[in-house]
Order: sequence, then C-alpha cells, then structure tokens
Amino acid sequence: MKMIANRLLELVLFLLVLSFISFAFMKLAPGDPVRYMLNIDDVAVSEERIEELREELGFNEPIIVQYGLWLVRFFQFDLGISYMTQQPVTQELAEKLPATLILTFCSVVIMTLISVPVGSLSALYKNKMIDQVSRLFALIGASVPSFWLGLLLIQWFSVKLGWLPSMGSDSILHLILPSVTLGVAMAAVYVRLLRSSLLESLNQDFVISAKARGLSSFRIFWFHALRHSMVPVITIFGVSLGSLLGGTVIIEVLFSYPGIGKLVVDAIVRRDYPVIQGYILFMGLFVAVINILVDLSYRYLDPEIRLKEGGST
Amino acid sequence: MKQIIVHKPIFLIGGMLILVLTFAAAISFIVPYDPLHVNMKERLLPAGAGHILGTDHLGRDIFSRIIAGAKTTVGTGLLILGAAVVIGVPAGLISGYAGGRFDRIFMRIIDAFMAFPDYIVAIVLSGLLGPGMLNLIFAIVMVKWVGYARLVRGTVLSQKQKDYIILAKINGLGPMRILWKHMMPHVAGNVLVLATLDLGKVILMIAALSYIGLGAQPPAPEWGAMLNDGKAFFYHKPELMIIPGVCIMLVVLLSNLAGDFLRDHYDVKSQKGGQ
Amino acid sequence: MLLSMNGLSIYHKKRCIVDKVSLALAYGEWHAVAGESGSGKSVTALSIAGLLPNELSAEGSIFYEGIDLLTFSHKKMRLLRGKKISYIFQDYQGSFTPFMTIGSQFDEMLCTHTDLPKKARQTKALLSLEEVGLPPERTFCSYPFQLSGGQVQRAAIAMATMLQPKLIIADEPTTALDSITATAVLQLLKKRQSETGCGVLFITHDLRTVKKYSDTVSVMQYGRIVETGRPHHVLAKPKHEYTKQLVSALPPLCNVPVRLGREALKEGLK
Repeated sequence: MKMIANRLLELVLFLLVLSFISFAFMKLAPGDPVRYMLNIDDVAVSEERIEELREELGFNEPIIVQYGLWLVRFFQFDLGISYMTQQPVTQELAEKLPATLILTFCSVVIMTLISVPVGSLSALYKNKMIDQVSRLFALIGASVPSFWLGLLLIQWFSVKLGWLPSMGSDSILHLILPSVTLGVAMAAVYVRLLRSSLLESLNQDFVISAKARGLSSFRIFWFHALRHSMVPVITIFGVSLGSLLGGTVIIEVLFSYPGIGKLVVDAIVRRDYPVIQGYILFMGLFVAVINILVDLSYRYLDPEIRLKEGGST
Repeated sequence: MKQIIVHKPIFLIGGMLILVLTFAAAISFIVPYDPLHVNMKERLLPAGAGHILGTDHLGRDIFSRIIAGAKTTVGTGLLILGAAVVIGVPAGLISGYAGGRFDRIFMRIIDAFMAFPDYIVAIVLSGLLGPGMLNLIFAIVMVKWVGYARLVRGTVLSQKQKDYIILAKINGLGPMRILWKHMMPHVAGNVLVLATLDLGKVILMIAALSYIGLGAQPPAPEWGAMLNDGKAFFYHKPELMIIPGVCIMLVVLLSNLAGDFLRDHYDVKSQKGGQ
Repeated sequence: MLLSMNGLSIYHKKRCIVDKVSLALAYGEWHAVAGESGSGKSVTALSIAGLLPNELSAEGSIFYEGIDLLTFSHKKMRLLRGKKISYIFQDYQGSFTPFMTIGSQFDEMLCTHTDLPKKARQTKALLSLEEVGLPPERTFCSYPFQLSGGQVQRAAIAMATMLQPKLIIADEPTTALDSITATAVLQLLKKRQSETGCGVLFITHDLRTVKKYSDTVSVMQYGRIVETGRPHHVLAKPKHEYTKQLVSALPPLCNVPVRLGREALKEGLK
C-alpha cells in the first residue's frame, strides 16, 4: 500500500514537471500559433485582429503567469480549446482514445498469438530447423520498418486482392491490417526475447529437479519454465507498452486510422498547441500508470518480491 | 586478455564505418544525375538504359536519390549516435564515479526520460520544435543519450567496488586517470555493442518520422520521405516504395547482425552456459 | 542387486567424461562415490535416471532391478523418476521451483505418480514433512525462499522419500550447507534410509562423511573408478595413489586436543 502511495506521489510530481517543461518548450518553439489559427481560412488578417486574439488567449502575460493560469484550468480538466476544430482538447482526446486502445489491444493479441508458440517451439527445439526459421523471422522482423510492412500489406491485401479496406475505422475489417502490421513487428522482438528467456529457464536447477521428480515435460514447460521466463518478458512488455503507443502513431497515420496518434501528428503539422500539450500530459499519465501496473504484476509473478514488501510495511 | 577482447571489435566496427563512408564518398562521384533535378518529361520511367532504377513522379532519377538518401539516412543515424555517445558517456562516467547526491538527482532525470517511450518523445519534441531534419536530430539525440548514460553509470558502479580500482586509488591515481585507464576499457565495449544495436533503431526512427512528415522535408532525398512520395503511385509503380524500403531493411539488418555479433563476443553471461 | 552399472561411459560430443565405470549397489546399501569436482561423479549420478543434458550421451548399461535403464523409453523412465528412483541435489535453492509453494510442489508430484484424491494427497504430504522434523502446515504453505537451506534440504528429503523409492541418489546434498546443518541433514537421510530400507547412492567429496555413513565406497578420478571397497578398508589402507592423497588431505579434526583450546581461551580472558 505504501509503495502505491509513494508511486502516486511521484506521479503527481512527475506530471507537474512534465507540464512545465512542455509548456516552456512550446513558448520557446518557433512559429506563432496565433497566425496559424487565423490563417486556417487563408484570408488575410489585420495586425489588430492578431493582437486582439493574443490578448484574448493571454499570450501577452509573463510565461509563469500563463503557466499558473493554465495549471488552474488543468485541475478542472480543462486543457483548452483546439485551434483547429474549436473543440475542447479533453473531448478530442476522449473521442479518439478508444480507437487507439482497440488497435493496441488487437495488436498485442496478435503479437501474443505469434510470439508465444513460435518462441516456445524455438526454445524447445533449439538449433533445429524450426528454431532457425523462427530466428530468421525474428531478425528480419526487427529490421523491417513497420510502416513499410504496412504499405506492403495494403498493396497486397487491399489494392491487389481487394480483400481488406486500408483506410479508416468503420468496421472490424478496418482493424485487421493495422493490427497485423503492429503485431508482426512486435512479435519479432518477443519471439527472440521469449526464446532466450526460456532457454535460460530450462537450464535452471529447479527444472532439473522437477524432471527428477518425474513430472511430465508438458507440466514442467507450462507451469515451471514458462512462468519463470515470463518475468523478464513482462518487464520488457511493460516498459515497451508506451513505445507501442508510439508505434501506433506511425501506423495510424499510414492507415488514416482516427486515433490519438493521428490526432497529434495533425496537430503538430498545424501547430495546434493545446492538442499537443494535452497529448503530452495524457501520455505522461498513461505511461506512468502502466509502469505502476507493471510493478504490481511482478508482485504476482514473483512471490519473493510480494512477501518481502508485505513484511516491511 | 582484456586488451585483445576490446580491440578486435573496434577494428571490426572501424572497418565497417570506413567502408560505409568510402562507399558513400565514392558513389557520390558516380551518381549519374542530380537527385533533386526535376524533369516532368521523364516521369515514372521504368528501370532501363538511362535510369538504372527508373524515375519517380517528378522525373527524378531514383538511383541517384537512393544514394543521396543513404548519405542522409545512414549519415544522420551515425551523427545522432555520435552525439548521443558524446553526451551520454561522460555524463554516466561522472555520475557513476562521483556518486552521492549528484548521482541520485541524475538518476531521477534519467528515470524520467526512460519512462517515456522513444517514439513518443521524438515525435513530441520534433513536433514542438517543428518539422525539419535538424529538429529531428535534436529530438532523437535527446531520446538516445540517456541509454548510454545509464549503461556507463551501471558499468562504473559495478567496477568501482572492485579491488583493482581501490588499489589504484591507494596508489594515488587521480580520478581522471582512473576513469580513463581503468574504466574506459570496460565502458567502451558495452557502449560499442549498444551503439551498434541502436544504429538500426535510429535509422528506423529517422525513416518513420520522415515518413509521417516530421523529418526530412521534400524535396530532400531521404528513404522514409521517398516512401511517402512513392505511396501515391504504388499501384502503377510499386518500385517507388519497394526500393527505399528494401534499402532501409538491409541497412538495419546489417547493423542488427553486427550488434548481435558484438554482443555475443562481449557478453560474458551468454558465454557461460553449458555445465 | 538393486543397481549395477557395467562399463558406463559418458561422452560430450567425442570427448569422454566418464570412462567405463562399473559399480554395484545392493538393496538397502549406502554406497558413496567420492572424488574431487570434475571427476565425473555428478554426471554418472544424473545418467542413471536419464537426466543427462542433451549434449551428453551415455553408453554401456545401467541395470536397475535387472532391467537396463538405458533402453527405457522416455515415458517409462519418467514414471520411474521420483517414484522408484529419487534425487536430492547439491544446490538447495534449485531443489524447488522458487515461485511455487512447497505444498503445491508436493501435490504436483503426488498427482503425477498416484491417483489419490486431493485430501489424501495433502495428508500424505503433511505426514512426510512431519517425518523429517519440519512444522508440516507452515512448511506446506511456504515458498522455498522462506525456508533456510537446511529446511529446504529436509523438505527435499521428505519429497524424495515420500513415495518410498527403492533408490535415492544424493548428489552432494550437504555441500552448500554449514557443517552443523549438514550433519543434521545427513543423520536425517540415514534415519529415513533405515525406515524405508532404500538404497542410497551418495555422491560426495568429503571423506569424513564417507567414513561415518556409508557401507561401501568408490573413489573416482578423471572419470574412472580407481578403488572400491568397505570404507574403513579403503580409507585406512588406500591402495591407489589418488586415494592416498585424498586421505592425507583430510584435516585431523578428531585429534585436536580439547584442553588446549580451553586453556587458550582462559589465557585470553585474563
């Protein structure tokens, strides 16, 4: 419990620092957002109008005051209004988030479906044919740019064969190509990771002891070795859940998939600062929460950590 | 013993780098066309006599653009890694060796950086700074230096307690000399392995960010940006996206292989095994 | 004979690690195999129940109650392990899977070898823990890292003897323990042996334990057995050069005059 409280405190501090840094960065960044806002319609605007809007948005105050005002609004869950769509940023993010989460979830499922069997077979038949093939897959998979893989899949499955749609997110069919692209790219990493982790586990003394007790190799593999090798895999998975969200950005743009990744890239191109800032804070929160959850999941996988902490509090 | 282990891969990597650089330098002489030269009369030509790999939608020679792109993509990748090493290694050495409060604060900063996934920081940073190659370089360096600082710090911490360092201190060696003479050999190998493995990732990142329009700006030849250009035409002319993609893949594959090789030859852990 | 090895050789690729070892163990006998580390005694022990790592291969024959174990199928061999032949290993941390409770591992083993209902399995596990002098309920619910080294080795003995196997192979079970705990563990093993009447193949590098517990002893060097016989015989009048070295390397603990120690202590107190 104490650990969770500590982590939450850290989280709040972290978000404060993050928000300040991103705020400062944005103020220092080149390009005048006011001009961007007014230039959307490509109509010439007077300097007066620009100055008026500047005043309205509070851009003429000192940075620290601006930050303070922004912070007050932040705690009321008000992240400002998108320059582009004139919608509240919170609402924009909330609308786009489910699509990204669904995509992430599907690609993790595909990744697991590929990497657990392939990685296990690879470790069990070390240096045999199947191992060589899966290692080749892992090596190539780690070297292929994911967006290129996506382009090839689009070329093949939607342009040539016309089986699957390539753009948008109207039906479940739209999910297939993007999540396969992401899933395959990730699986390459996890096949390799699981293989090496399993090989290490299978060499542990406790596996030999379990064998000496006459347990079946099925039982030894699933209940003893695999679980032991999951600890490093879960660690890496947790750490990379964030970068998975980074990876979806590229794929969302590629497939014109309306998630928060595409939202932020559009915002970056148009200098829609409130949206960018909202995205940064949201991601910070998300990644930090994930990290806490990963820590908690160790405590399940490794009773030694759980009991030690239980004893100390 | 240590000397041999340290030097062999340095020669190997040095050789590889020299090879890449001479290749790029040599090839820029034989590039048949200006990679930026637009010729609307020769749009989307197939591979053949005049143009080895054909031309793109603006009539630019693809082969010339690929070669120029190699310099942009691989060259930028090496530049980024160089910068990351130059910032990260001293930071890690000092933090690990100095220890104490300084080290604790430093670790906090590193943890905060590490908490964020590479791609998001790079996207957000280059987004805040605006699209463009220089901003992209800055953004990726900011992401990558942390890894080196952390690695070096870890190595220094693990070596600091060893008897031979304590002996060196007792014998009156100054901190600079200890760091340089005794720490660097341990650090150098690890950094080399990490840098080689990172090269592929950095190249992928440059290409991906250029692809979504945050890195190289048109008309600059860059493999990721070329993919973006070719996307619109890939039904009629799939080479436009296949060629740059294969180039990226091959370079990344090579650096991954080199990284694996180095890691296997360095990592004492993986050499153990067996009995 | 319970176990007899005839000309057993073990190879790592082409290299010979164990060279034509022959050894016999009668029912209820305690046979020690002594030798320095690397002499091939552990590999010999592992080969009996087919536990050799993949890169090692065995030749020759190992007869267990008259059947050659090397010709056994994997499945038949597996059902033999733990039920008829049990192992106790050196590294107590590796005796049990670290993230499972001791109880669940007992249960797992009983599931494999018997078809007792859940309740009976638990009773049996608790009983065997009690027999080795551990608090049964508490140990049953503990994880291996919550027990001390000696307790883990006791639990390992409990598990090894639970199904009353005819043969227990103990591969340096006390090497990782301090000497007081080690003595207690060995005495426990001896007690369990006399209670169940099983044969013990005891791998060790410590000649003192050989003298005290074993009925017969083989001395191993460079993958060969150089001398076999009754311990008092072999140790008192070693024939082979290597055995002589081993015996002379024994610290003469039993001859330390006790009074000397006490007087020195008194001197120190003044």
